[in-house]
Amino acid sequence: MIAGNIYGVVLNDRPQLAQMADVFAMPPYNVPPRNPVLYLKTRNCLMTGGDGIALDPDLAEVEIAATLGLVFGRAAVKMSPATALDCVTGACLALDISEPETSYYRPTVRQRCRDGFLPLGQPGPFDRALLGGDIITFVNGTKVHAWSPKRLARDAATLIADISSFMTLAAGDLLLIGLPHDAPRAGRGDRVHIEGAGLAPLDARFQSATAA
Amino acid sequence: MKRARIAHNGSAVWADLVDSGSTLRLGNGETLAVADAHWLAPVAPGATIFALGLNYADHVKELGFKAKEPPLVFLKGMNALVGHRGETVRPADANQMHPECELVAIIGKPARNIRADQALDHVGGYSIACDYAIREYLENYYRPNLRVKNRDTTTPLGPWIVDAADIPDPQNLTLRTFVNGQMVQNGSTRDMVLDVAGLIAYLSQTMTLLPGDMIMTGTPQGLHFCAAGDDVICEIEGIGRLASRLVAEAGS
Repeated sequence: MIAGNIYGVVLNDRPQLAQMADVFAMPPYNVPPRNPVLYLKTRNCLMTGGDGIALDPDLAEVEIAATLGLVFGRAAVKMSPATALDCVTGACLALDISEPETSYYRPTVRQRCRDGFLPLGQPGPFDRALLGGDIITFVNGTKVHAWSPKRLARDAATLIADISSFMTLAAGDLLLIGLPHDAPRAGRGDRVHIEGAGLAPLDARFQSATAA
Repeated sequence: MKRARIAHNGSAVWADLVDSGSTLRLGNGETLAVADAHWLAPVAPGATIFALGLNYADHVKELGFKAKEPPLVFLKGMNALVGHRGETVRPADANQMHPECELVAIIGKPARNIRADQALDHVGGYSIACDYAIREYLENYYRPNLRVKNRDTTTPLGPWIVDAADIPDPQNLTLRTFVNGQMVQNGSTRDMVLDVAGLIAYLSQTMTLLPGDMIMTGTPQGLHFCAAGDDVICEIEGIGRLASRLVAEAGS
């Protein structure tokens, strides 16, 4: 569905930045992050089979971070925060799956980019109101988490402006605008449902132990 | 066989090099002289681009690091790539910007959980990348951070893809970089910490590699800081010479 680059950003959750202030002052970090801390999701992350996401044998459980993906309708190059959102024409719910994060220094690519690690909801037209709504996660029918992009340290417009100062977000690219630091976890056999922000809901499931 | 991707009559098309490399032949039989080609990076849109840090023993030593276990893999987006004879933008304050000549392995058929002794069967071809780094932009979060390694135009790649069948041993190739004619890197793929087969085995443990995916396999020693206007050539034995030029950032 997305043929362009898929970028995401960690450490963009205001409560997390406050909690980690002391950690940032110590090695290996020494100073707080100055620029957006970005990662890519690869195309194999979009390969979710009909039987659901198969966790590799070395993983007991994974972090499931529900977020908002912004789809670019035209290239964002050196934008100002005032005009940055003019480049965004679509949005979707996204479930950014990862191994539980232990370090932000030099994580391995496999931590965030295993097969099936980015289920996406159906994209709809972008509306600024989407940035104010709650994103709610259910696991096996039970509500386990809710958060709002209002928590972001860099809001969507500032984030796009800062990123586009050194790299282009091209038409067709997808940007995941931030992850809640208190994201829930899930494992084999779990069904995950994400809803909110006025977008089409997203359903994903993990293959059961017997299927794997 | 060498396969290039060029801009031709308004389309991005693949073309074969023929007549001892003097001519490009398109799929429809049309030909043009290589001197007239507008080269694009020979990449399939949507491909995953892996890159390796600290994957040559001599370069690891030069930077004062230790070899990484697991290997230091990072990713690039399409925005970073430019083709042969392209231009790479050098920010005005990038005083520690240096070129890194790298062998690129291009996946030819899908790979998942492939053993190293079978991994080269999944390589379709090889190319050359010049992976610039700007050392003063490094930050200690998700190293090497995208502001260092994923800037627009900072990864010339090409000029073409050489079929894997024409490179019987990818671990015995000389790599060299020249800046304005002066040799600044001179190494061998023999010195890779984890070789092409090992990298495919490692990556395919957790990710399905797809045709067109690229693995930039790291660079040997030779740190040379560049200036705007520098002509840079990265050369790999049996593949070719990838030329690019550094230009000043507009408005600087």
